[in-house]
Amino acid sequence: MLKVENLHASVGDKMILKGINLEVKAGEVHAIMGPNGSGKSTLASVLAGNEKFTVTEGSVEFEGENLLDLNIEERSRRGLFLGFQYPVEIPGVTMANFMKLAVNEQRKARGLEPLTAAEYLRMMKEKSAIVELDSKLTSRAVNEGFSGGEKKKNEIFQMAMLEPKLSILDETDSGLDIDALRIVATGVTRLKTKENATVVITHYQRLLDYIVPDYVHVLYKGRIIYTGDKSLALKLEKEGYDWLINDYKEE
Amino acid sequence: MEKDTKDIIQELESGDYKYGFVTDIETETIGRGLSEDVIRLISAKKGEPEWMLERRLKAYRHWLTLEHPHWAHLDIPEIDFQDVIYYAAPKQKKALGSMDEVDPELKRTFDKLGIPLEEQMALAGVAVDAVMDSVSVKTTFRDTLAEKGIIFCSISEAIKEHPELIKKYLGSVVSYADNFYAALNAAVFSDGSFCYIPKGVRCPMELSTYFRINAEGTGQFERTLIVADEGSYVSYLEGCTAPRRDENQLHAAVVEIVVEKDADVKYSTVQNWYPGDKEGKGGIYNFVTKRGICREGAHLSWTQVETGSAITWKYPSCILQGDNSSGEFYSVAMTNNYQQADTGTKMIHLGRNTRSRIVSKGISAGRSQNAYRGLVRVAKGADNARNYSQCDSLLIGDKCGAHTFPVIDSQNPSAVLEHEATTSKISEDQLFYCNQRGLSTEDAVGLIVNGYAREVLAKLPMEFAVEAQKLLSLSLEGSVG
Amino acid sequence: MVVERINEILGAKPVDAGGALSSGAYVICGDSATDVTVAEGTTAQLLIADAPGAIEINIDVERGANLSIVHLVTEHSSTNISIAVAEGGVCRMTQAVISSSDSRVVASLVGSGARFELGGVFVITDEDQTSVTVDVNHMVADTVSRTMVKGVASGNAHGSFSGLVYVAPDAQHTDSVQSSRNVTIGTARIETLPQLEIYADDVKCSHGATVGQMDVDAILYMRQRGLSLVDAKRLQIEGFVDDVVLHASVEGITDALTELLGEKLTRL
Repeated sequence: MLKVENLHASVGDKMILKGINLEVKAGEVHAIMGPNGSGKSTLASVLAGNEKFTVTEGSVEFEGENLLDLNIEERSRRGLFLGFQYPVEIPGVTMANFMKLAVNEQRKARGLEPLTAAEYLRMMKEKSAIVELDSKLTSRAVNEGFSGGEKKKNEIFQMAMLEPKLSILDETDSGLDIDALRIVATGVTRLKTKENATVVITHYQRLLDYIVPDYVHVLYKGRIIYTGDKSLALKLEKEGYDWLINDYKEE
Repeated sequence: MEKDTKDIIQELESGDYKYGFVTDIETETIGRGLSEDVIRLISAKKGEPEWMLERRLKAYRHWLTLEHPHWAHLDIPEIDFQDVIYYAAPKQKKALGSMDEVDPELKRTFDKLGIPLEEQMALAGVAVDAVMDSVSVKTTFRDTLAEKGIIFCSISEAIKEHPELIKKYLGSVVSYADNFYAALNAAVFSDGSFCYIPKGVRCPMELSTYFRINAEGTGQFERTLIVADEGSYVSYLEGCTAPRRDENQLHAAVVEIVVEKDADVKYSTVQNWYPGDKEGKGGIYNFVTKRGICREGAHLSWTQVETGSAITWKYPSCILQGDNSSGEFYSVAMTNNYQQADTGTKMIHLGRNTRSRIVSKGISAGRSQNAYRGLVRVAKGADNARNYSQCDSLLIGDKCGAHTFPVIDSQNPSAVLEHEATTSKISEDQLFYCNQRGLSTEDAVGLIVNGYAREVLAKLPMEFAVEAQKLLSLSLEGSVG
Repeated sequence: MVVERINEILGAKPVDAGGALSSGAYVICGDSATDVTVAEGTTAQLLIADAPGAIEINIDVERGANLSIVHLVTEHSSTNISIAVAEGGVCRMTQAVISSSDSRVVASLVGSGARFELGGVFVITDEDQTSVTVDVNHMVADTVSRTMVKGVASGNAHGSFSGLVYVAPDAQHTDSVQSSRNVTIGTARIETLPQLEIYADDVKCSHGATVGQMDVDAILYMRQRGLSLVDAKRLQIEGFVDDVVLHASVEGITDALTELLGEKLTRL
């Protein structure tokens, strides 16, 4: 589904990604961990097409297409979803309106008719239940005045609405209390199918108790320096990153 | 993203004005120019009584002593007032008895404009007075309204049929001596709407006036007078369009509203006069004086969505004369290409315990200039006055200007007045977020702009709100992407 | 006299005929026209005290220079101060006005990274007619300004504040906050005109203005605890202007400023 090869990206003069290799197949869950500043969020942004970053080298293939040729919304419409670490507030624009536009763009890209108002409302109701999102929030402006937990639930709600092929969740667990974490993580798990894939970017292993990864990658200084299975996350939780970083330095 | 936004801005600038057609209808006009004879001619054409003519002449003589105002943040080219046609009327064969007798070409015009002049109106529940060039074409629903004692007719008819009301109220809120354009209007106004809501009556439907400039070289000087008697309520809508022409046309209207004790008036405008082309050629000069006076316990609310006109100069105001009266002003002013707008409000607190609220949202794109100008004055005797003002500006592109010129004048120490203003642009983060959810940048900008204006749009009656939303996105066309 | 006291605290010397300031403290007193230059990289302090009549001062803050101004208006005067701040320069200004007067500050930020801050207080009573103008021109990209003017008017006084933030075309990343806060007492009149004129889009500009009154409940509370009405009022007004006084551009003059205003405050 996603094939990243030797990806280099920079912001201004500063090289942040220095040769990422990553392959994600349908049905898989990947976790990306790593210390602060290792480039985790940059990787997510670059894959989504944030133009703040310049790709200087390497390739990204998504469903057989060159992802780097596409702009942000084209990537979105092809089924790539980014759950933001800091979802932005859009004053005055209601969630309901925003999502209706987004869902219908998604449907248009898939050759489907726009939803009728009734269908759309039914869908909203059904999907908001997945993350126990207070239905009142959908009549409020996008993320405005939402608590940290509500914002993150809202991201997963949108993921449910848009039914992406590949979801990249950037620190979706940060700032969540344990209940919200459970709700968000269960939501992600419930949306999991054999046809889609998830990349979870996280600091903590606790999220991975709910979302069980097939692979755990450790990102450090712009490279994936180690890949393991779910037991790696536990080891990192206990022992930190030092043992890996030291190994890497010796290399 | 930066580049993308610029492209979009350019695309938006190419947006088209869809009301730019001209109606091919025989028009009766008088020659260009202004003199006492022209005023006598206008008055005679309307079959006005002598006292009305005297009023016009008095205003004209005063106007001659005035200079064109320069204080606004506007670059107004010299206007030759002798090169304007002050009266133009679509020719009608005879007096109108029913809707069927209206010239079919005229009806088609109003159909194109989407004005529900006929049966659809019953469904929409809106009574319409349509003014083309200088005369009122047709006032619908008059009978239904008459049952409640509501008078809704053209001002020309009112002068003839309700002289006692006109004598009492016309010019009582905006005197001919008020300003340059108020004087000009008082001298040459040709038509407009008159509305009277009797004591204690709640007007059962929205009343609406639709203004249309059609004839070439004409100025439009309509005059609207609304009187809401004690304890009554009315919601009034005003819409305007004009054909696309290379010349600039002058529109200088006066709207007066008298809100008697405990009455409540809501006045909504969607102003979409032809704004000129993307090089700034042509377009309407829109110099309008709108003011209402509130007696004890009365309430007046102005809502405006201003997207049209080459130049807008307009300050719908409230004189809060009575104790416990209140005024509101909600405005979205959007300028694109070479448009200029200097708009805002005055809230004059005279009575005790008076309240006012101002919410202004300016949106500038292209090479346009958009200014908010406001005055909040609390007079000496106006104990416990309160005002809250919020004036925001949104800039789209780096060639436009957004300005805020509020004046707060407190002469009573019990006043509590607050003014806040912010200036922002659409953030890259917001665009990125919307793009990531699959929205094109153009849709995202439309969405964000409508969201930004939502607080004001929400104040419009439903049908108007939908129209205004479309208009905002349309006016943005060619400015972002 | 407060002016002398502040002078003493600063150890200020008169500005030379050439008007060039090197590091140290200076004073301009009275009715004159003066051109002042703060040389590149220097840090200087300048006390400006008015005298009856007109005073006109042009100040150049050169690259990377740092100037702190204390401006006292205690006489029937008309003051015009123009300040140009070059690249990386900083000008901080504290202004205290207690008389019928007309003062105008025009600050132009002409170099990238330039910064201008003004904290002002006017306290006027009786028949005072006072006008305070602060115009800030952001002429180039990446400049910052902060303006906060607090006004208190009592008796038949008439105070007006006019502030303009101008952002020139291409002066992107301008960061400007302008604020006018006012309290009226008695039959006084306050006018405030906080204005923005903006020709660049990537800017952060905001302004706010309020006109209000003393908090009656707070005064009642203080009096219940035994304070006189006058003291309760004074205390509240002191609290109102405190942030400007406490953040005076020059250290060590807080007490002197409080004393200057305090004397006037007893006449509210």
